[in-house]
Amino acid sequence: MNVLPLYPHDVFGFPTGLLLGTLIGFAFGFVLERAGFGNAKNLAAQFYLTDTRVLKVMFSAIATACAGIGLLSGFGVLDLSLLTVPETFIGPHVVGGLLLGIGFIVSGYCPGTGVVAMASGKWDGLMSIVGVMIGSLLFGFVYGPLEGFYKSGAMGSVTIAQALGLPFPVLAAGVVLMAVGCFLGAEKLETIFAPKANKPVPASQPVVRNRAFAAMGAFAVLGLVTVALPTRVPAETATPLARIGAVELAQKIVASPQDLWILDLRDAKAAPATERIPGTVTLPEGTTAAKFAATLPATRTLVAYAQGDVPTLPEGLRAFPGEVLVLAGGFDAWKGAVLAVPQPPADPTPVLIAEFRTKSALSGYFTGAAAAPPPKLVVKAVAPSAAPKKGGGC
Amino acid sequence: MQPPVERPYWNPYVAGFVLGLVLLTSFLVMGFGLGSSSAATRLAVGTAHLIAPKATEANAYFSQYVGPGKKVLEDWLVFEVLGIFLGGLVGAYSAGRLKSEVIRGEGVSKGHRIAMAVVGGILMGFAARLARGCTSGQALTGGAILSLGSWIFMMCVFAGGYLVAPFVKRDWR
Repeated sequence: MNVLPLYPHDVFGFPTGLLLGTLIGFAFGFVLERAGFGNAKNLAAQFYLTDTRVLKVMFSAIATACAGIGLLSGFGVLDLSLLTVPETFIGPHVVGGLLLGIGFIVSGYCPGTGVVAMASGKWDGLMSIVGVMIGSLLFGFVYGPLEGFYKSGAMGSVTIAQALGLPFPVLAAGVVLMAVGCFLGAEKLETIFAPKANKPVPASQPVVRNRAFAAMGAFAVLGLVTVALPTRVPAETATPLARIGAVELAQKIVASPQDLWILDLRDAKAAPATERIPGTVTLPEGTTAAKFAATLPATRTLVAYAQGDVPTLPEGLRAFPGEVLVLAGGFDAWKGAVLAVPQPPADPTPVLIAEFRTKSALSGYFTGAAAAPPPKLVVKAVAPSAAPKKGGGC
Repeated sequence: MQPPVERPYWNPYVAGFVLGLVLLTSFLVMGFGLGSSSAATRLAVGTAHLIAPKATEANAYFSQYVGPGKKVLEDWLVFEVLGIFLGGLVGAYSAGRLKSEVIRGEGVSKGHRIAMAVVGGILMGFAARLARGCTSGQALTGGAILSLGSWIFMMCVFAGGYLVAPFVKRDWR
């Protein structure tokens, strides 16, 4: 039974969210200061390998949070599907990353640490933030010609775990392992590069370090345990999804729309009203199809669809007590099978013509276009046929 | 009142672990992670909107922040960054590090460092909008949720830094 994350589960509203945001930010800023990130020299040292504090703090934080997410989602208290995954745009991420790295070493800060430096009384920190503001405006001024590139290489919200087809906790354990490997390598590099620059080698503090490694490792191992647990058989493999074809659904909508709840699983912004199946339930503001499904009475059959196929049902739909069907092939299949004007069969047989008539009628019904006339049945000489002869009779 | 005596920095791995817990908390509470640059963007766009409301609203990129019914500063990240500032302030004061100064290498002037900070900041502001986030929103947050693009971004940040570091060496010596 997952209750996390809280905000997408409507535990509190927007104003409370802002207050919590301030508190979370406070902790973020405090830790950044204690990490030494209010001083540009500590940050710049990363790029001369005299003190790799940036790598150590950043990668420890990523590994800890990543393993924590893997662990809690593995135990089923955190719904991974409700976490926001920044979308991938290959070109902008490569170019933006390079530019930001250059800006980082030139200014001595990144945008977050610049705020901490500013709060610590560092004028260079304040001016780096002024620069960030100017840079943001510059981007807006050149957005027109840049828009094409800005939207290029779009892959949507994709995680490395999804790309490799591995469970999240397994990848998280990999991140922890990789982090520890990087840390040991970075400490080695410090012993080479710090003396060269006449700087003291940062103290290693192996006892404290190993405790931190152990804590991250414990998160990762517990996460791996959840993957191995036999009870964590995903519900969707236990009960295969019942599917309905596009044509069959179209016939049902025509014949008995009152027996259906039709739910669009796509993001409301991504799917304009014209791009929906007629009869789709209009969701109230601020809810998702999955959440809304839990509020519907089970008196009707629930039909869910996305743009393409739905590999796994969202949590809320799984909880729906009545019959749940998934539109095979999603809206794309609907467009192809129902909305498209059907092509008359090349080699008409009575069965194909009947099928063509059905499709043509449905296409006409759902697009408002007049149904195309069925093709003439070609009577083959060898086949004795009862087909009416055109123009026969009197 | 006597300012507190200077305290040492935390062990970086401990600081990282605690920072990871803060990031994890953000995910558990809000469903998304931390950010920084977009608060500066919102502040800049909000200022531009005060000066030239029509022109700002007409801009294809800025129109997502300002326009009828949109409050540019009423945003989670703006409040979160306000928190970063307050947390940094309390952290710096309590550790005896709250001090008006310009961090620079011995060989460079204050003016040089300020100019470099602005130039680097401009690059970062531009880059963060292009990449839809900075070291906080992309590298840290996207990294923890294993976003493919965020990892590519993070690698490129380090690459860009190492590439240019030899040319600005004296700023930090």
